[in-house]
Amino acid sequence: MQLLTKSLFAAVAGLMIVSSAAFAGPADDAIKGRQECMKANGGAMGVMVPIIKGEKPYDAAAVADAVGKIEAACAGWSGWWGDNTQKGETLETWAKAEIWTDKAGFEAAGAAYGPALAALKASADEAAFKTAFGGFGGTCKNCHEKFRRPKE
Amino acid sequence: MRNGERLYNAAGCHSCHLPGPDAAGIDGALPAGGAPLKTPVGTFYPPNLTPDPETGLGNWTDLEFVNAMQRGIGKSGRHLMPAFPYTSYAHMKREDVIDIRAYLASLPPVKNATRPQEVPLQPVVRRGIGLWKLIGFDSAITQPDAGQTDSWNLGRSLVDGPGHCNECHTPRTAFMTSDMSRYLAGGPHPEGDGKVPSLRGLIERGRYKDANDIKLALQNGELLGYDKLSSGGMGKVQTNMSKLPDADVAAIAEYLASLK
Repeated sequence: MQLLTKSLFAAVAGLMIVSSAAFAGPADDAIKGRQECMKANGGAMGVMVPIIKGEKPYDAAAVADAVGKIEAACAGWSGWWGDNTQKGETLETWAKAEIWTDKAGFEAAGAAYGPALAALKASADEAAFKTAFGGFGGTCKNCHEKFRRPKE
Repeated sequence: MRNGERLYNAAGCHSCHLPGPDAAGIDGALPAGGAPLKTPVGTFYPPNLTPDPETGLGNWTDLEFVNAMQRGIGKSGRHLMPAFPYTSYAHMKREDVIDIRAYLASLPPVKNATRPQEVPLQPVVRRGIGLWKLIGFDSAITQPDAGQTDSWNLGRSLVDGPGHCNECHTPRTAFMTSDMSRYLAGGPHPEGDGKVPSLRGLIERGRYKDANDIKLALQNGELLGYDKLSSGGMGKVQTNMSKLPDADVAAIAEYLASLK
């Protein structure tokens, strides 16, 4: 009897471990949010870089649209970095441990992003856009250098 | 001296020899040393490269400098730890190394004694380096390939020499020597977190459109939305590349684009 209880308990515990590893949870939700936000940034780059390179003409409406998509995708940012989000239940993340061991540094790097995006949004002509874009790309690099793991 | 500054940037000297976080009052742009460099064998505090006689290179002769840069032998005659990439710098032309020395000597001297390395097995490891050099240290100076353009040859000499791309982008054998059969083919990150990408087939694998695309990526990084050149230490490399003359970066890109 005791053996049966024990093995039942082990089976249930085992199942719990398996299920926690196999199904999405709160960390996945946060990681998904982060990754969607980054994708919106990547998408915006796809719109803006050709203008910077001179491959496409400056298009204020397209820039505004790209910035709007970032704002929508990244609205939940501040809630996505809890201590329990260092690893996903099922999703892989390239977030480095330094985000949580150097919280002040991470917040400082992140804090530069908001004004950089706002400057992009406020830019009313091509010259202003180009200036704002330089600051924007710089904040990406500044944060990725310290807080994102390299991936192939 | 101009050439020395150019190669100082190409070699990324400052990326490791920068002042540490505790160095109060030292200009962070100078290679005054001391910032911790974590490696699998322990933590290094790269030394002061400014011309201060006591704590920097002020009392070093050109010969001692070349011996360190290209033979991995310190002023005291000891083997230097290959966290300092002399295995790559060995491929440089002697006069280029002397030019770096002249540039360093032109910097303002800074008094900054750096901490000793924290390498637990140091006596054993240091003895091992002599043997390791016998099997893994190719000290041949890069010779031009007559079948290639001047620019391609310049690119290769920058990649294999000062650029020391191999140190991270070529995987290592069990003996910690570069596995040249997998030249620049990527592998585990030497700091143990993540992967270092392969630099072969960059065009064929669709990573970049052409050599000019690689050039723009090296010069601009995320300032032009190239988001693969920031992580894992590459951000510092890209910053260094942005300081190089246009023709040098074009040459590096031409050479990398040719690696299948």
